[in-house]
Amino acid sequence: MNVGLLAQSLLAGITNGLTYALIGIGLAAIFKGSRVPNAMQGEFSVVGAIVVVLLLTGHGWPYWLAILCGGLSGAILGAFIEVAFIRYMIRNAAPEDSYLLLTIGIGLSISAAVLYFFGRESHLLPGFGSDNLYIILDAVVREHVIWLIAISILLTIGLRQFYRTTSVGLKMMAASIDPVGAASIGIDVTLMRTFTFMLGGALGAAAGILITPIIPVDYMIGLQLTLKGFAAAILGGLTNPLGAAIGGLVLGIIEAMAIVGVSSSYKDVITFSLLILIMIAMPQGLLGRAGRTGG
Amino acid sequence: MKASRSLVILLSIAVCVALPPFLPRHFVDLLVFAGIYTVAGLGVGLLLGQCGIANLGQIVFYAIGAYATAYLTVYVQAPAMVGFVVGMLISAALALTIGWPILRLTGYFLALATLAMGIVANALFFEWDWLTGGTLGIGGIPKLQIFSFVLDTPLRFYYLVLGVVAICLLLAHNLIRSRTGLALRAMRDSQDAAISLAVNPRALRTRIFILSALLGSVAGSLFAHYGGFANVQSFGIEKSINFLLIPVLGGATSLIGVVVGALFIAVVPELLSQFGGLHQILFGVALIGVVVLMPAGLTGALAEVWRRSAEGARP
Repeated sequence: MNVGLLAQSLLAGITNGLTYALIGIGLAAIFKGSRVPNAMQGEFSVVGAIVVVLLLTGHGWPYWLAILCGGLSGAILGAFIEVAFIRYMIRNAAPEDSYLLLTIGIGLSISAAVLYFFGRESHLLPGFGSDNLYIILDAVVREHVIWLIAISILLTIGLRQFYRTTSVGLKMMAASIDPVGAASIGIDVTLMRTFTFMLGGALGAAAGILITPIIPVDYMIGLQLTLKGFAAAILGGLTNPLGAAIGGLVLGIIEAMAIVGVSSSYKDVITFSLLILIMIAMPQGLLGRAGRTGG
Repeated sequence: MKASRSLVILLSIAVCVALPPFLPRHFVDLLVFAGIYTVAGLGVGLLLGQCGIANLGQIVFYAIGAYATAYLTVYVQAPAMVGFVVGMLISAALALTIGWPILRLTGYFLALATLAMGIVANALFFEWDWLTGGTLGIGGIPKLQIFSFVLDTPLRFYYLVLGVVAICLLLAHNLIRSRTGLALRAMRDSQDAAISLAVNPRALRTRIFILSALLGSVAGSLFAHYGGFANVQSFGIEKSINFLLIPVLGGATSLIGVVVGALFIAVVPELLSQFGGLHQILFGVALIGVVVLMPAGLTGALAEVWRRSAEGARP
C-alpha cells in the first residue's frame, strides 16, 4: 500500500466522518435538550439541501442566500415538529418509545413527500469557493473539502461555546438537565425545547448542504444519514455534541480503512458490528462521561 | 364482560374462516400477507408489550427463515418441513449468540443495537450471493402441499396461514398468562423488584428474544413458499420498521392488537394506493396520527371508547 492511497482514503474518511459528525451533533443536541432520539435527523439534511438546490438552480438565487434559506428551512421544520407533535405528546406523558416511532413516521412522510414533489432524480450542488484541486501528501483534495472541514470544525466549536457562554445556551442546558428547577427560576422550558429543535434542524440542514457537493441528495438518503449520525452520536456518548463529532470522525476513518483493508462492500458490516461492540463494551460512549447527566 | 368477550372472539374466528371465499382474490392475497406479518409481528409484540424492548432487527430472522426455505427446497430439494426447521434452528442459535450480549442494553440503545444488527445482516445477505442469490434472489420455491393437496391459490394458502396464526396466538396467550408472563411484566415494570423475587432478567429476555426469532423465521419461511422467491430487496430496513409498527399501531400489550396492526400494515397501503404517488405520504401521516393520538394503539383507543361509553350508560 503506498502513501498516496493511504492519504487519499484517510482524507475520504475524514470528509465522510465530518458529515456523520454533523448529523450526530444535531442528533445529540436534540437528545440532550429533549430526550427525543430523533430518527429523522437525516431528513433535515435532505430538506435543507433540496431547498438550496431549488432556489439555486430553479430560481437562480445567489448561492449564499440560498444556503441561508436552506439552513432556515431546517430550523423552521424543527420548530414545527416540536410545536405540532412533541409538545402535545409530552403534555400527555407519552411512553418513551413513542418518540422514536413518531420521528420514524415523520421521516417516512418527508421522504415520501420528497419523492412525490421532487422525483427520483438525485442532485448535486456546486462546491464552495472555487473548483481548484490541491495536492496534500500525494492525495488530491477539492477546495470544497477544505471548506467542509473548516466549517464543520467551526460549527462544533461554535456549538460548544454557545452551550457554555451564551444566556440562551445555558438556559437550554438548564431546561434539559432539570426542567422543574429551571422552570422555578423563570426559564421557559417549553420554549427552550423549541429552540433545541430549531438548533438541531439547522445543524441537520447545514450538514446536508455541506455534503451535497460531494454526495448527491435524493429522497432515500435521509435514513442512511440518520443511521450514520446515530452511530456517530452513540460512539461519542449520545448526550455530548462534542463526543458526537469525535465519534463521527472515528467512524469515518474506520470505514475508510475498512474499504482499503477489506472491501468497500463490507464497510457497513464492519462499522455497524463495531457500533454494537462499542455499545456493549462502553455504554457511555468513547468519551466516557455518564450519559445521564447533561454533560 | 367475560361472556361477551368470548362471543367477540368466536365471532371473529367465524368471520376469518367463512368470509374469505367470498372476497376477491386480490383481497385474500392481502389477508395472507396480514397473516404472515401477524406471526412475525407477534414476536416483536411479545418483546415490546411484555418486556418493553423495541426490536428493530426482526427482519434478520424473517430473512433467515425465507433463505433457509429457499436454499433447501430449491438447491437441495429437501422437503418443505426441513426448510422450516433449519430456519428456526439457525434463528434460535443466532438469537442466543447475539441476544445474550446485546440484551444487557436498555431503551433506545437496545433498539439501535437491533437496528444495527439488521443493517449488518442486510449487507451480508447482499454480499453472500453464493448462498442468497444476492439481488437476483432465489426463485422457483415450490408451493407447499399437505399430503397431495397443493396450496397453490391465495385462498388455500390463507387457511394454512390462518391455522399457523391461531396456534401462535394461542401459545402466546398461554405464555402471557403463565408464571413466565407474570415474571416478564414484573421485570418490565420494576426490574429491581423482579430481581429480588429471583427473576433473572437477562436470561428471561434472551428466551423471549429467541421465541421472537423463531416466530420471525416461521413467517419468513411462509413468505418464501407463498411468493415463490426470496431476494435481498424483500429484507430491507423498512421492513424491520414495519414489523415494529405492527404491535405499536395495534397496541403492544394485547394479542388482538398485533392482528389489527398487521392488517393495518398489509391493507392500508393498498387502500391508499388509489391516491397514486401520494399514498406513501398518507401512510406516514396515518402513522404519525396513530402514534400521537393513540398511545395505546388502535385497540387501546377502541377499548377507551368502549369504557367511556359503558361509563356514560351508567347513571
